[in-house]
Amino acid sequence: MGPRINNNDEWLVEAVIEPKPSLRDPEGETILKALVHREGWGEVLEIRSAKLLRFKVKAISPEEAERLVKKVCDDLRLYNPVSSTLKVRAYEGSRG
Amino acid sequence: MRAGSLALTSLTAHEVEEVRRRLGREPTEVELAIFEATWSEHCSYKSSKRLLTLLPTSGRIVVVGPGYDAGVVDVGEGYVVSIHIESHNHPSAIDPYGGAATGVGGVVRDILSVGTRPIALLNSLRFGRLENALSRWLFSNVVKGIADYGNCIGVPTVAGEVEFDESFERNCLVDVVCIGVGRREELILAEAKVPGSVILIVGNYTGRDGIRGASFASRPLDGEDDRSAVQIPDPFLEKLLIDATLEAVEKRLLLAVKDLGGGGLATALAEIAYKGGTGIDADLSKVHLREPDMQPTEVLLSESQERMIFVVRTEALKQVTGILEKYELPFSIIGVVTSDGILRLRWYGRIVAEVPVWAAVEAPIQERVVQMVHRLSNTNTTLKPPTPDLHEAFFKILSSPNVASKRYVFEQYDYEVGVRTVVKPGDGDAAVLKLPNGKFLSIKVDGDPQKCHLDPYMGAMNVASEACRNIVCSGAEPIAAVDHLQFGNPDDEEVYWSFYQTIRGLTDYFSTIGVPIVGGKVSFYNEDSTTGRAIKPTPVIAAIGLALTHDSVTTMSLKTEGDALLVIGETSAELGGSEYYKVVHGIEQGQVPFVDPRLDLRIFRVVLTLATVGALKAAHDCSKGGFGVTLAEMCVSGSFGAKVDLSSLPRVGELCLDELLFSEGRTRIVVEVPKKLIGLVTSILERYGVPYGLIGTVGGRTLRILYDGRTIIEASLDELENALEKPIPNIMGD
Amino acid sequence: MRVLVVKFPGTNCDYDVFEALRKVPVTYPELMWYRDAEPRGYDVVVLPGGFSYADRLRAGAIAAKSPFVERLQDYVEDGGLVLGICNGFQILVEAGLLPGSFLVNDSLRFICKWVNLRVENASTPFTCLFTEGQVIKMPIAHKEGRFYAGELSTDLVKSKRAVLRYCTENGSITNIANPNGSDHSIAALIDTTGRILGIMPHPERAVDPLLSPDGSVDGLLLFLSIKAWLGGQA
Repeated sequence: MGPRINNNDEWLVEAVIEPKPSLRDPEGETILKALVHREGWGEVLEIRSAKLLRFKVKAISPEEAERLVKKVCDDLRLYNPVSSTLKVRAYEGSRG
Repeated sequence: MRAGSLALTSLTAHEVEEVRRRLGREPTEVELAIFEATWSEHCSYKSSKRLLTLLPTSGRIVVVGPGYDAGVVDVGEGYVVSIHIESHNHPSAIDPYGGAATGVGGVVRDILSVGTRPIALLNSLRFGRLENALSRWLFSNVVKGIADYGNCIGVPTVAGEVEFDESFERNCLVDVVCIGVGRREELILAEAKVPGSVILIVGNYTGRDGIRGASFASRPLDGEDDRSAVQIPDPFLEKLLIDATLEAVEKRLLLAVKDLGGGGLATALAEIAYKGGTGIDADLSKVHLREPDMQPTEVLLSESQERMIFVVRTEALKQVTGILEKYELPFSIIGVVTSDGILRLRWYGRIVAEVPVWAAVEAPIQERVVQMVHRLSNTNTTLKPPTPDLHEAFFKILSSPNVASKRYVFEQYDYEVGVRTVVKPGDGDAAVLKLPNGKFLSIKVDGDPQKCHLDPYMGAMNVASEACRNIVCSGAEPIAAVDHLQFGNPDDEEVYWSFYQTIRGLTDYFSTIGVPIVGGKVSFYNEDSTTGRAIKPTPVIAAIGLALTHDSVTTMSLKTEGDALLVIGETSAELGGSEYYKVVHGIEQGQVPFVDPRLDLRIFRVVLTLATVGALKAAHDCSKGGFGVTLAEMCVSGSFGAKVDLSSLPRVGELCLDELLFSEGRTRIVVEVPKKLIGLVTSILERYGVPYGLIGTVGGRTLRILYDGRTIIEASLDELENALEKPIPNIMGD
Repeated sequence: MRVLVVKFPGTNCDYDVFEALRKVPVTYPELMWYRDAEPRGYDVVVLPGGFSYADRLRAGAIAAKSPFVERLQDYVEDGGLVLGICNGFQILVEAGLLPGSFLVNDSLRFICKWVNLRVENASTPFTCLFTEGQVIKMPIAHKEGRFYAGELSTDLVKSKRAVLRYCTENGSITNIANPNGSDHSIAALIDTTGRILGIMPHPERAVDPLLSPDGSVDGLLLFLSIKAWLGGQA
C-alpha cells in the first residue's frame, strides 16, 4: 500500500462481489455468446460479471480499512457467502 | 459432497438390502444413485403415500388427477386448466434469491409438462418475525427472486400470502403455485408410450449444481452452507424453453414432455417409462454438459435448472430440432424408448445400469404407525384474557405484519402481463383471470399454521374453508384444489400424528363440499437439526374456481354510499390461533374455530346465487384479525366509510366485544348490497337457512363500529389506510 | 394497416400486442421472430415489452445490435412508423434511434401499477386522437424505467418531443406522481422525424375495459390514432 498523503484517516476501499468460480454466471455467458462472439470477437474466451461497491471509510491503516469493510459486508450480508466471494482492497495512495 | 462414494448414499440399510433383493445382485454405483433419487422422500412419498390415498381426488371435471406433473380440470368449450404447487424451502433458506427463483422455474415447467401454457403464479411465503434481521433478508430476497424470475418469463404473479412467525425463523417456507391453460386436445402427459421414439434432453447444460438436491430436501437443515444445493436461476433460458415447448405442443410434435426437477434424470426417465409401461435405453455421455469431467452419477443426479425431456416420434424429430434451433436452445439426443421395462443407462456405450423400471419407481412404503398423541389437549382450554382498550387493540392488529398490506410485495410482480388479470392483487379475496373460453378463473392460496399447531384436524379444515370461501367471495364456484403439506421430521410421532390429522381434516372438508384435490406435495423435514425445532404444521391449499360471466366477479371495495352491509355466517368465541390473541395478549392457545363443511356449502351457494343475480356489490371474508379487519379493508379499498352495529352479528353463545371484533371463527362473509335489494337478499338468505345479520350501511369517510347504538371504535379512512399500508415498507426500510 | 410485431429471445409481451392490434379495425398484425423479420412493406413496426436477453448487460443492449434493428433506420427514412413499448423503448434508445438512457428505478425495485399520463403532444401519429393536456391511464411494469438524458431532457420537454409525462389524477407533474424518477417525468418520447415513438407504459394492456381500473381504453386509442393518421396519409 502506498503512503498516506494526508492525515484524514480516510481510505477508499473497493469490495468486489463475484459469483463463486464453480457457479454458472448467466449474465457473463449471455454477453459473451449473444453479443461478443456474435460480433466476431473469438479471442474473448470468458466473461464473468461481478458487483463493485466502493467504500470510503475512516481507519488508521489500509489493513484496518479492509478489515472494517469485510466485516460490514459479512455482518450485513451485503453478499451471500454461499454463492459469492468477496475481495476487498484498500487503494494505494488513498486519501479522503 | 462428491458423487461416486457409496458411503454417501441416503438410503437406509434396509432399503439397500431391498435394492439387492430386487436386482438379484449387488447394485452398481450408478444403479445405487438411481434408487437414492427415486426412493428419496421428496420423490417417492414413501412416508406419506398410504395416507394420501384418503384424499378425494376424482370428479366429473377432473382430467388428470394426482400422480402427474400437474392436475388438470375441464373448464368447458374444449379448454382445460392445469394447476401445480412446488416448494423450495431448503434451498431458499440458504440462497433465498436463487432458491425462490428456481422454485418458480420448476413449477412452471411442471405446467409445461402437461402441454399447457403457464398463465399465472401465486406464492405462499413464511418467514421468522420481521424484528429479526435474517428474516428481513430472507423475505426481501425471496420476493426479489420470485419477481425477477416470474417477470422475466412473462408469467404474471397475481396472488399470494405472506406470514411471519417464530417457528419459521430457521426454516422459511417458499411455496409457489402455477396455473396453466390449454386445449384439451393438446394435452400431453409425461408418459413414454411408444417404443422406438426418441428421447431428447432440452435446455440448460447439465452441471454439478444441485446434485442430490432431492435428498438435500429430505433431511433437516444442519446449518452448514451446502453449496451443491445452490441452484442458479436463468429465466432467459426458461422463457426460451416455454416458447419452444408450446410451439412444439401446438404443432402436435411431442409424444411426451417431462420437467427435470428433484432427482434429475434418474427420476424423470424412470417415471416416464413407468407411466408408459415401457423401458428406456439412454447414454448419459450424450447429455450436453457444462463441465468436461463429470461422472455418470453426477450427470444422472444433477438438478441443473431449466432442463426438460422431450419424447418425439422419429418422423417428427427434424421439425422438433428445427424449433429448438430457432430458439437457440441447446439439446441432445440421448436415447430411445424400448419395450422391455428396463431402465438401461450407458456411458460411452458401455452399460452402467440396468434396473427394472417398476423396481426403481415403486419405493418400499415406510410403515409408520400413527400414535394417538394428546400433547395439545390441554392447550384448548384457556382463560379468556380481560378485554383491552379496543381502539388500541384494533390498530395494533391492523398494523401487525400478518395483517398489514403486502403492497410492498405485489407491486414488485408484473401482474398484468398476459392481459388476463381482471381482479388484481389487493382488490379482492382472490385473483381473477380471463379465460380464452369467455369464463373467469379465480385463484387463491392459503395456510394457517397457528390453528394447525393447536388442532391439526380442525386447523386443516379451517385452511380448506378459507381457501374455498376466498374463491366464493370473488364470485366463483370452487372446482378443484391442490395441497402442500409441510411438516417436521416424520420420525417424530407427534409430527406424524399431526400429518394424519391434517389429511383427515382435508378429506372430510373437500369430500363434503365436493371439490377434488387434483394434485399436491408433501414436504417433511422442515426443522432445524441443531435445535430440533420443527415448523408448525403448515398445510397450504391452492384453490381454483370458475365464474361464468363478468357480472358475477366481485371485489372487496365498498362501492356506493347508502348501500347496506350484511354478514353471512356466525361469530364464535373460538380464538385459538387468532392474530388478536397472539399480537395483543401474547397467547398462542385457545379453541380453534369449529368448521361445519355442510354449513359452509350452504353459505357458499347462497353467496354465489347473490353474485349471479347481481346483488353483490362487494364481498370479503373474515380471516386474520377477524371482523374488524374485514371492515377496515373493505373501507380503505373503496375509499368509503361505514357504520356497523356488532349487536346484529349472529353468534354462537355469549361473546364479549373483543371476541365479536377479532374472533377468526367461524365462516363469515361480509357483503355490500344495494338498499333496494335488501328484501330480495334476505329472503334468499332465509330460504338457504344460513345465519345472517343486517349490520349497517356504507357511507362517509369514517368507519364507526357500534354495539347497540354505543360507539366502540371510530376511525377515519386515512387512519385506517396508514395502519394498513405503512408497516411493511417501514420495517423493510423504505 | 399492416403491422409487424417483432419478437426477440426473451420478449414476452408480443402476443399481448398482437391481440390488442386485432381489436383495431382493418388491421393486419403479423408476429415474427427477429431473425425472419423484414420491416419493408409494413406500415408500422412494433417492438413489444419484455426482457429481451433477460436485460443482460443493459436492458435492450443486445437486441439493439441485431440486424433487424439496424435496418430500422432506413425503414423510418422511407416513411415507416416504429413503436417501441417498454423493453422496445429501451432497445430503440440503445440503438441510438431515440436519445437518452435508462437507469434502474429510484426505488431500486420493479414496479407494477396503473399510472396517469398527461398528453403533451397530440400531433404525433401515435397521439392524434387525444387532446393536448388530456390525462390518460395505462399500466407500467418495469425495473429499469428511469429515463435519463441529462440536459437534453429539458429540450425534449420544451420541444414537445416528450409526448407523455407521468402526472397526478388531475394532470399535475409532481415528484410523487413520478413512479421511477425519470427526468421531467418523461414516459414517452418521439424522435426528430416524428415517426418513432418510445413509450414506457403498456398501451396493449389498456385496450379491454374489463382490465382497466376504471373501464378506460386509452391504449386502444393510441393504436387507433396510428390507424387514423395512416388513413389521413393515404
